[in-house]
Amino acid sequence: MSHHILIVDDEAEIRQLLEQFLSISGYRIATVATAREALAHAAATPPDLVISDLQLEESDGLDLIAKLKAAQPGLPVILLTSVLFDRQTVEENLSKRVSAYLPKTTPLNQLLAEIQRLLAAGK
Amino acid sequence: MKDPTIKRVLALFALVTVVLVAVAVHAVRQLNRTVTASDWVNRTHALINELEGIAAATQSAEGSLRIYALTRDPRDLAAGRRSQVRLADHLEVAGALARDQAETARQVARLATLAESRSAFARELGSAPPESLATLFAVDAANTAVEELLRLVERLVTEQMNLLALRDQESFLQAQATRWTIGLGVAINFLLLAAGAWLIRDDILMRRRAADAMAAANAQLESRVQARTAELSAANDRLNLENLERRWANQALEHQLRYNHLIINSITDLVFVITKVANISRINPAVEHDTGWLAKDLINRPLPELVRLTAGDLPLQRGLKEGHDLRDLPATLLRSEGGEIPVRFTFYPLRDGNNVVGGVVILNRATA
Repeated sequence: MSHHILIVDDEAEIRQLLEQFLSISGYRIATVATAREALAHAAATPPDLVISDLQLEESDGLDLIAKLKAAQPGLPVILLTSVLFDRQTVEENLSKRVSAYLPKTTPLNQLLAEIQRLLAAGK
Repeated sequence: MKDPTIKRVLALFALVTVVLVAVAVHAVRQLNRTVTASDWVNRTHALINELEGIAAATQSAEGSLRIYALTRDPRDLAAGRRSQVRLADHLEVAGALARDQAETARQVARLATLAESRSAFARELGSAPPESLATLFAVDAANTAVEELLRLVERLVTEQMNLLALRDQESFLQAQATRWTIGLGVAINFLLLAAGAWLIRDDILMRRRAADAMAAANAQLESRVQARTAELSAANDRLNLENLERRWANQALEHQLRYNHLIINSITDLVFVITKVANISRINPAVEHDTGWLAKDLINRPLPELVRLTAGDLPLQRGLKEGHDLRDLPATLLRSEGGEIPVRFTFYPLRDGNNVVGGVVILNRATA
């Protein structure tokens, strides 16, 4: 049974690209555009991993992640954003809230490696 | 029907059929000859029996007549006459049996003549007065008809026996020829059938080898097709991934660029990006909104033509040259429709490593 990954991003193109890439890599993918949809989907079908944008239309990614982790504490989450902080700042501020922080300029194979690492660690 | 093996096998079966027909025709002919020979043998045996009957009847009749010569008893004469009647019956049957053999028929006719002379003698005896019987017997003593008849019968029997012997030999040779013919036909057919079987076996082996070779070729082809398909599929996956990577990189750059624009454009203060020589390279929408100038009118235009520091151009030139900030300096901004508005001037140099490559000027309206 392949792992189930939930992608949350308000940009359709990013959702589509990530879904295509991760489907080729063998994962079951669900995509949503808003935090509300993400919470509804996670309640119905708990994901193995969540990839979320930081800035969402009705909320922000960190708030969504907090709610998802409240329902599913061990859930690995990758925060994906174009808001550029330096890595040290991110680790100091976000390491306890997300499993990984990646800028949207990260190559897809690095994103895949991070997903594989987190899923393997969660076993 | 292009298959050469089928042609050969059919030709062999045609030959087998020809040989079978030839043997059958020969056998039927030999059978007919045997039937004919059997009839002839039966008839010959019957003729010999009749000839022997002729000899026996003759001797019986002559014996009775000799006894009559001694006894003068009419019963002896009658017995001789009865034997002569049997002799006549045998002669009639022998004549019928010898009808198809001219020489034999002629000799049987001779026998009939001799027998008739003896019958005539017997009739003469029957009708002659008793005193003349001695004379008649004396005269008959010189008659050689009976001896001639018996010799002729003996010769005919010998001839018929010889003919039977010859026919036996012929029959044996015919039977031998038939055996050889049938044996040869069976042997030829056996060889032909063996050749046909060999041809079929050879053809089956050849076809099996061809089928095996075809199967091997197909398997190899299938393997190549599968390998090629896997290569193409892998290449296609690689292309898809590369395409996705490219699209991902492009969207990331576009997103980043759009986000940067969003940051600058969201600022309500007037922002100018200038080059090392203070020409305007970019503005935010607040500049157009507050001055009435359009971006196309301002791009590459010297900033001092639009914004004049109260302290003159020198502080900005030094800031660009030396790379230090200018904060909250008094200045005026030229509007497009004329007139100036007072503003506070802040400058931040743009650094690329250790080099100053330009700067950012932020103007906010001076408060009274």
